[in-house]
Amino acid sequence: MRAYLALFRSNMRLTARDRGVLFFNYLFPLIFFFAFAEMFHASTGQGIAYFVGTVLTMGILGNGLWGAGMRSVQDREANILRRFKVTPISPLPILIASMASGLLLYLPVIALIAGLAHVIYAMPLPQHWISLVLMASLGVCAFRAIGSILAAVTNTMAEANILIQLLYMPMLFLSGTTIPSSVLPTWAQTVAEFMPATYLVTGFQGIFFRNQSLLGNLDNVVAVGALLLTTVLGLFLAVKLFRWEKEEKIAPRNRLWVAGVLAPFLIMGCWRSYTKEHIGQNEAIMRDLARSGTFLIRNTRIFLGDGTVKENGTVLVHDGKIVDVFDGAGPDAGKLRADVIEGSGKTLLPGLIDVHVHVSSPGGVWDSSDDYQVDKAIARDDAALLYSGITAARSTGDGLDASLKLRGLIEKGNKLGAQLFVCGPMFTAEGGHGTEFVQYAPKFVQDQVREQLVRIPKTAEEARQQVDDLKKRGVDGIKAILESGFGQSMLYTRMDVGLFQAVAGEARAQNLPLAVHTGDSRDVTDAVDAGAASVEHGSWRDSIPDAVLAKMAHDGIYLDPTLAVAQAYSQYFAGKADALDNSLVQQTVTTNLLTATRNFVSAGKGVDPAKAAIFAKAFAQSKENLLRAWKAGVPLAMGTDAGNPLVFPGPSMHQELKLWVEAGIPAAVALQAATANGAKLLRQGDHIGGIRKGMDANLLLVDGNPLQDIGATERISLVVFKGERLDRPGLFDQK
Amino acid sequence: MSNPIEVDGLKKSYGGLEAVKGVDFEVCAGEVFGLLGPNGAGKTTTVEILEGLRPRSGGRVSVLGCDPGVQTRELKDRVGVCLQSTRLQDKLKVKEAIEVFAALYTRNVDTTQLLKRLQLWEKREAHYSTLSGGQKQRLALALALLNDPQVLFLDEPSSGLDPQARLEIHQLVQDLRAEKRTILLTTHYIEEAEKLCDRVAIVDEGRIIALGTPREIQERTLANSTIEIDCELPVPAGDLPAWQHADKISLDERRTKISVVSTRPARTIVEMVKWLDEAGIELADIHIKRPSLEEAFIELTGKSLRE
Repeated sequence: MRAYLALFRSNMRLTARDRGVLFFNYLFPLIFFFAFAEMFHASTGQGIAYFVGTVLTMGILGNGLWGAGMRSVQDREANILRRFKVTPISPLPILIASMASGLLLYLPVIALIAGLAHVIYAMPLPQHWISLVLMASLGVCAFRAIGSILAAVTNTMAEANILIQLLYMPMLFLSGTTIPSSVLPTWAQTVAEFMPATYLVTGFQGIFFRNQSLLGNLDNVVAVGALLLTTVLGLFLAVKLFRWEKEEKIAPRNRLWVAGVLAPFLIMGCWRSYTKEHIGQNEAIMRDLARSGTFLIRNTRIFLGDGTVKENGTVLVHDGKIVDVFDGAGPDAGKLRADVIEGSGKTLLPGLIDVHVHVSSPGGVWDSSDDYQVDKAIARDDAALLYSGITAARSTGDGLDASLKLRGLIEKGNKLGAQLFVCGPMFTAEGGHGTEFVQYAPKFVQDQVREQLVRIPKTAEEARQQVDDLKKRGVDGIKAILESGFGQSMLYTRMDVGLFQAVAGEARAQNLPLAVHTGDSRDVTDAVDAGAASVEHGSWRDSIPDAVLAKMAHDGIYLDPTLAVAQAYSQYFAGKADALDNSLVQQTVTTNLLTATRNFVSAGKGVDPAKAAIFAKAFAQSKENLLRAWKAGVPLAMGTDAGNPLVFPGPSMHQELKLWVEAGIPAAVALQAATANGAKLLRQGDHIGGIRKGMDANLLLVDGNPLQDIGATERISLVVFKGERLDRPGLFDQK
Repeated sequence: MSNPIEVDGLKKSYGGLEAVKGVDFEVCAGEVFGLLGPNGAGKTTTVEILEGLRPRSGGRVSVLGCDPGVQTRELKDRVGVCLQSTRLQDKLKVKEAIEVFAALYTRNVDTTQLLKRLQLWEKREAHYSTLSGGQKQRLALALALLNDPQVLFLDEPSSGLDPQARLEIHQLVQDLRAEKRTILLTTHYIEEAEKLCDRVAIVDEGRIIALGTPREIQERTLANSTIEIDCELPVPAGDLPAWQHADKISLDERRTKISVVSTRPARTIVEMVKWLDEAGIELADIHIKRPSLEEAFIELTGKSLRE
């Protein structure tokens, strides 16, 4: 023990007298600290909490690889170690003392960097500071162990230099230490999965940025284990391969031991490349960073979402939330460390909420279904929603797995798209509406598609079981279909009312809002009687009786008239492609799909005068029902049924707004339905759909005043999603 | 009781190269024993095997009853070693070096006294890099003495030092000898071996080619003493007599200087003086040149030490 202490003291003294060591440990990270502060706008956001970890990692890399690695080669080359060889000690005290002194030298760096971040950039101090010290200490020990091995397997300073650079440089540039990983190509991010530095960077980011504890996060626990293993393996091998004199040479094949020490990370890298689970993790962290900023949208008209309008106001956004809403120009941006967006002449709305979309279909007509990949299609459609200012959407009938997966990716920030609320498959009858989509799929996948898209209970018990199973899968609501069809050719088997009631009862018991597709007033009546949360479409064939509307108003059952889809079908079957001339449609729909759809529709391939007439009547009927419902005090929500032909996810919401106003609904009421009411229907009224203190910063800033000219909602100036000012063109491939 | 150092048939090869080809000697308690030989003779290799720094290829070795290849750590704890060249970190202070190395041994001497004795007390706060060659070597000796060792290995202790520093080191070695410590030193300085060593082994090409006190080695060599007598007057013409034990009898041109080589110079001188006296020639001066260890070495190895 005396030997350990004496060697440790001696190391500390020598280190304190070495300017190079002080430079690499303290000054070098400090230079990057201030450079990054500039780069990540540390003064107006949480960027500081993101990069503090990268600066700490940089210090650890230098401390370990150069401090431990190069120093031991130097001591051996100068034959200083030789003097120790004649004393009665093993290499262990020398290696341990070196590790301990490196660690002690490093610990003040944490305090220095975190302290500076706190004092200068107002970074909150980490709550899990024990985790922080632990992570940093493990990092130093592991990297000093790696450094010791590098020293052990090289014969000269020049060799050591090359070998250290070979590890240092990639780790500095690929692990997120200097360049944010999210801007690196996927292959580089994959390479980074093999590097211990990557796990340090993400571990630190978790602690500083996401306030994680080390042991509260599985990824970190695994990383801690790997660092620990590397330390132990490294020390063990460093003792075994230790050389005291420069005259003792080591065979080059021993360099393979480096791989041995890095083995825990090589294994983790292989595992992660195999599972691909962590791809996109870096994007998620950058996402959080982008959402962390502070800014004011100033001097603008604000549609608050509670039915009132502030003609001139200012909204303060910080860390993803609306912090406050002010009258006039609001507070001094400089004092708040906030960016400013001047909103004069514009109107700020809560992000729109489309409560009826099918994101797995594109809204157009494909030349060939070969181009269709469900994951890609729904991600693209969901991004198009966000592009168009729709920040939340309810998927009322999509493949269960694909929509849950996308919801997860968006929730974690791996993908950008409208926040999704998933119903998954639709409850219907054998031969009922919804099952026709299964037939469109190729024979060999039909069973699979059916499983993903529809539920056809045979008994009440089975119906309840199916609802329970969906609840377990994590759906946000249930979709059921009551529809007997139109005219001569569009006839469906209507779901048995008893089964439907079983679904409705279980959905209520499981606290899942029930959305019911209805075709006529009988369907609406049954839906209302069963206690649906919303009636989708309403009646397209007859007037909804006043008594039913009164009950809806009384029970708080929403009507979602989906005028856009009725209008679109009436045009589609009439061979009219006017919808494609809309600017927002052209911005969001791929050129291929746009051309294919235009060719198909214009060529008259979809023309069917009988159906065109049916839908023209349905369109008129649903407008009439909407107006009467509004007058009867029925709560209104807005959906589009996007995904149907010519009903494009995103633009169709703006079309829906226009159609409501055309139908005689005041703009403010339509906007209220498209924002706050939608949020309430999704049971998210406290988080989204309004502009007030504490709500998610989901905002749509448009040029002009949609309260006077509803078309203004299409003239989008800015979309804010969870506090991030979106780069809209970057949301999807501009191809 | 066995000797502190015993070496029997020691061999060491590096790959195909045989550096030590079977060496036998023992060092008695309290003795200063020298290994004398040119660079590359195998001296350092031999010593380092005894110090436990390298494994041997063959033979039997015992230091303080330990086998250096087996009880390495125990041995290292008990002996003192001054390496051929000692290097410490430039910015390490003298007293810190003493402190850190002292901590590695189970037994320590009083470090203050040690520093004073080695005239390093005034330099205790100095960085290693600022020390002179002599001071560095004294520090190296101090490190060797930290554990109060009964056996000391001094590998070329005065190599590369200026004459003054060398004398200081010599004095220290003599002091250590007076303390009855057993010392094995290697050197390629003849005078060092003559001055310091009780016994010397001459090593060349991995073998001991002579072993004994310096005097014994000198006497064992074939080289004889040269006697030169200067006369006041020229020696009369005619042959000089054949004095006993004398050889290579010669006269210079002026016939005033007689030079002979004798295997028994004391005997020969008596006869020569007697003859000159009888011849009525006054003696001006007499020189007796004894063969040096150096000459003995050259004669034994056929090569010079300094090359």
